Amino acid sequence: MTPLAARDVTLRFGGVIALDRVTVEVRPDELLAIIGPNGAGKTSLLNVLSGFYRPHSGQVELEGETIRSLRVDQVARSGVARTFQGTHLFAGQTVVENILVGRDVHMRTNILQAFCYFPWVAREEDEHRRAVEEIIEFLEIESIRNERVGTLGYGLRKRVDLGRALAQEPRILLMDEPMAGMNSEEKEDLARFILDVREARKTPVVLVEHDMGVVMDLADRIVVLDFGRVIAEGTPAEMQRNPDVIRAYLGEAQ
Amino acid sequence: MDPAGVFAVRYSQDRALLRTRKQWFALAVFLAALAALPLLVGPRLIAVANIMLISAIVVVGLQICTGYAGQVNLGQAAFMGVGAYTAAVLAERTGLSFLLTIPLSGVAAAGFGFVFGLSAARIKGFYLALTTIAAQFVFHFAVLNLPGSWLGGSNGATVPPATLFGYRIASDTSLYYLCLVCTVIMVYGAFGIVRSRFGRAFIAVRDDDVAAGIMGINVVATKATAFLVGAFYAGVGGALWAYMLRFVAVDQFTLFNSVFFIAMIIVGGMGSVVGALIGVFVIRAIQELITSLGPELAASVPFLGGDIVFASMNVFLGGAIALFLIIEPKGLMHRWNIVKAGYRLWPFPY
Ligand SMILES: Nc1ncnc2c1ncn2[C@@H]1O[C@H](COP(=O)(O)OP(=O)(O)OP(=O)(O)O)[C@@H](O)[C@H]1O
Ligand SMILES: [Mg+2]
Repeated sequence: MTPLAARDVTLRFGGVIALDRVTVEVRPDELLAIIGPNGAGKTSLLNVLSGFYRPHSGQVELEGETIRSLRVDQVARSGVARTFQGTHLFAGQTVVENILVGRDVHMRTNILQAFCYFPWVAREEDEHRRAVEEIIEFLEIESIRNERVGTLGYGLRKRVDLGRALAQEPRILLMDEPMAGMNSEEKEDLARFILDVREARKTPVVLVEHDMGVVMDLADRIVVLDFGRVIAEGTPAEMQRNPDVIRAYLGEAQ
Repeated sequence: MDPAGVFAVRYSQDRALLRTRKQWFALAVFLAALAALPLLVGPRLIAVANIMLISAIVVVGLQICTGYAGQVNLGQAAFMGVGAYTAAVLAERTGLSFLLTIPLSGVAAAGFGFVFGLSAARIKGFYLALTTIAAQFVFHFAVLNLPGSWLGGSNGATVPPATLFGYRIASDTSLYYLCLVCTVIMVYGAFGIVRSRFGRAFIAVRDDDVAAGIMGINVVATKATAFLVGAFYAGVGGALWAYMLRFVAVDQFTLFNSVFFIAMIIVGGMGSVVGALIGVFVIRAIQELITSLGPELAASVPFLGGDIVFASMNVFLGGAIALFLIIEPKGLMHRWNIVKAGYRLWPFPY
């Protein structure tokens, strides 16, 4: 079963066609990279895949079921997690609290129980805190767990962002330019985490990334977008030789 | 940050409100002092304390709605009014015990607040503020225009005293204990809510509602819940208010009061339950000081005239709040945290 697929998706912003009949299938257990010049529609595609934008035509299917009737939070609850271009952390919270928000999809306490703070509410908190600690350990951010995220450097924030998405225990993970703005050491760390996630969880990953080195190293398959259209698709080696891809990139550079 | 030598070895400790034996001790002393207050001070101050306790409940609710969930709410006094009228009507007509009327008043106010919470789903900031002001007008309009036999219209409505096992809770002191018990329960509940998944969802929606939605938080439901909880607190406070004054009227629950509630969370510190309590204490204390000094000033400096003195009281109070905002825009709680951290690090500044 295809974990996640966009079929013939078109998305417009006024006159701008951000996505033009895009079809992308994510295969089980693969790392699919989406590349393309600025404004190609990469973020828009992730927004459509995560249910944040509703396409004007076409379908998004999560394990064969359309997500058209679902709200964005329901899509998340069905197992789609994503990280953001730039930072979208909850600035008023600590690292632990941010990651705990990701656990919310697995929590059951209702408002009355929270008010009374029954012992089993505390037990549920503990349970999820344990899961969060595993992620914190995995991402090697133990020393900052109780810091407010507003005070952290960019590289660490991106790790927290990933931690928050992992806390959802998603069936598929979407990442929007996680490496942008990082130095090479931070990039290496994050690449290692991404590979470890795939190793440990067998979760398919969709990675939007500008850094070609990273993409060539990590990706199993690459989809190339340009002006909202899929212009090529294949293995990293194929893409390096594809004349359309070279043109799109060189065309942008000129 | 923890005091030196205190390390959490269990998650429950990391989460606990009170981390050290000294903190438990301080809380016990504080609660004991509150319980003994009627023995220590005169009835006038107890009456002031009653108003502070009721305000504390209302403002803690506002803190959850506005401070935590970031939903501007200028209708908290109206929500309180709904609670007060509900208690008045239930107590007068049905003779229900206050043990039931108080929570039911909370529920009635929560229902009223929930409607405005739903509108918060679509609008933000300034427009939301305007919409919540509308709550204030809807409340006034409804009370004044419904048939007089329902809510008493502009005459207000009288409230029979709360009774427990035949004992009338009518004196300032007995009301004080009723208010104190309610406040302790509601504050405890507030701490439960803010450190649960709801508190985290509130902050998430406040800080970044796009990210919150994509993380699986139902943003609409979360905002509506914040209003629901905030209004429930206001309703409980309103019910106590009704039992305290034994009389309710619309002009006790005006936009002016709502603005003061907002001032209290700003002065105390946004996004902190303790901050809300501090804000209530500080502003009500200043208010009280001004109200008691005013007449004396008018008496001792006759040529000023009573009118000017009373008019300038509000100006002075407004000025005091403005001064607070300039000197300490993040609230007293923020200052306290800085002092505390400094004290724990001292003499090593790192
Ligand atoms: N919310 C929006 N409103 C209007 N236009 C938008 C919006 N979001 C994206 N667009 C437009 O859609 C097109 C695709 O944008 P998108 O952000 O998806 O590109 P991208 O490939 O992620 O680019 P980048 O590499 O800069 O992140 C652009 O022309 C952009 O201006
Ligand atoms: Mg983008």
